[in-house]
Amino acid sequence: MEALRVEDLSINFGGVKAVNNVSFSVEVGKRLAIIGPNGAGKTTLFNLINGQLSPTAGRILFFDQDVTDLPTHRRAHLGQARAFQLISLLQNLTVLENTLLTLHGTKPHRFKMFRQIRDFKEVFGQAVDELKKVGLWEKRDELVQNLSYGEQRRLEIYLGLCMQPKLLLLDEPSAGSTKEECTDIIGIIKNLESDITVLIVDHDMDMVFGLAERIIVLHYGEIIADGTPEEVQTDQRVREIYMGVEECIDYASDR
Amino acid sequence: MGAIDQEALARPRQEKWISVVAYGIAVIVVGILPAFLSSYIQGVITRFLIFALFSVGYNVVFGYLGLPSLGHAAYFGAGGYVIAVLKMHYDIDLFWVGAPLGILMATFIAAMFGILALRVSGIYFLLVTFALGQLLYSVAWNVKWLNTPGMQGIAGLSLPSFGTGGWTLDPISFYYLVLVITVICIYLIRKIANSPFGHALIGIREGEGRMRTLGYNTWLYKYFAFVISVIFSGVAGVLFGYYNYVISPTHLGVGTSFLPMCMCIIGGTGTLLGPVIGAALIIFVELFASIMTPERWPLTLGGLFVLTIMFAREGVGVYLAKLWNKMSHPYGSIKS
Repeated sequence: MEALRVEDLSINFGGVKAVNNVSFSVEVGKRLAIIGPNGAGKTTLFNLINGQLSPTAGRILFFDQDVTDLPTHRRAHLGQARAFQLISLLQNLTVLENTLLTLHGTKPHRFKMFRQIRDFKEVFGQAVDELKKVGLWEKRDELVQNLSYGEQRRLEIYLGLCMQPKLLLLDEPSAGSTKEECTDIIGIIKNLESDITVLIVDHDMDMVFGLAERIIVLHYGEIIADGTPEEVQTDQRVREIYMGVEECIDYASDR
Repeated sequence: MGAIDQEALARPRQEKWISVVAYGIAVIVVGILPAFLSSYIQGVITRFLIFALFSVGYNVVFGYLGLPSLGHAAYFGAGGYVIAVLKMHYDIDLFWVGAPLGILMATFIAAMFGILALRVSGIYFLLVTFALGQLLYSVAWNVKWLNTPGMQGIAGLSLPSFGTGGWTLDPISFYYLVLVITVICIYLIRKIANSPFGHALIGIREGEGRMRTLGYNTWLYKYFAFVISVIFSGVAGVLFGYYNYVISPTHLGVGTSFLPMCMCIIGGTGTLLGPVIGAALIIFVELFASIMTPERWPLTLGGLFVLTIMFAREGVGVYLAKLWNKMSHPYGSIKS
């Protein structure tokens, strides 16, 4: 079954074709990486899939449902979760508040006005469990801005997971993290249940080649290669455009 | 889960008796004392309560949602104008008719204006709400039906009647009416602020994009918050109409819109009782300023504002709360 299908997707910013006629589909449970040089349109593609932008042309199908015109919050209810390139946690709120807001977001009682947020014992208990899993329970009353960058990253990814998504969009999860934190994040994603589909955009090749079962290479908004890590690795155009003609590191053979 | 829950929710024991004492003092000051004061001072305290209610409601949009509205007086004044028109044209001063109609009118206008104003955010929201407020101001200024002949605005209002023959309100019982309504409204706002809805508003203030990806329909939240905030403006406006005996276009205009914003900033934006403290400061400083140098009130207000921004940027209310914390926990046993 297809988790996500993108058909002839294009978006123009003025004269710039940020994403141009992109089509691909992802099976349920696959880990797909999207790579490409800066400005290739990777984040724009994510914004289209998640609904922050609406495409100039093309369709997006999410589990066979046309979501092209749905706003972001509706897509969240359908099961999309996203971690942003720049951490989007609510910096001036505490860790616990962030967790509670995340958990309440897809619950029907999120509009309740006359019941205290902490009276929802079930959600609160879930928040406690999640925070203990991330190892941030001790810091629940810390403002998020006082956490280290790595902790924020981890919290954001875990919060994405506790929305119980069907599709997880990770925009540069490794950005600004140390080697150990990257390994940590790779571990989290590897241990995900197999029915969660994951899309990753990243520049960190350890992350990409360590996780992805399939890689799409974008260049100036167009797909120039699509295949297994080995195929992409040996693709001549990818070598030329993405990794430079002369020096290319053979990641596939490292493993 | 039970033990953890208690651990998470437990508050220091000391805080409890402190709040009991604080509430006790508050009850005495606002509940009993006014009965023994002169009717002029009673009036000033009534005015304080009305503006406290107005700015606590305004704070839902300004503080929790983080959208600066400069047009809340339009809804405040609309409530007052409904009272005034009912009295002038139909000779109805029944509370049970005037109050619901006034609040409904304010809500209705907000439901329309909200759709226009919420298309934008930030400083543009301020400009649009300002423009919409001035729109009502000029309507009230120019429509003959809304003016007592020979003046701008409607005069000759009275305290409401309750349809109980033979007994009419005197200023002190009106004061208690205002007190009860204000306390109920602030309690409701407290409920809302602590609910999932209220938390979502704060979340939207901190990062609307993230809230959308979490599944919140942020526009709807903003719209609801705006309308809820205006309901309280309407309540305050109705009470103000009864209190002030005169309602004029200025009560719809930017001068009045500025007051709750100023009260929120001075008292503490985004806190429940900060605006109350801001309202108290402004109303009572105005009282003394009008005794000493009546013509220099704007200067005094400006000075108060600048002093707050310089020395208690988070608001006097927050500053006082921190000071209180420091005094009651001298060894720094409580964080920040």
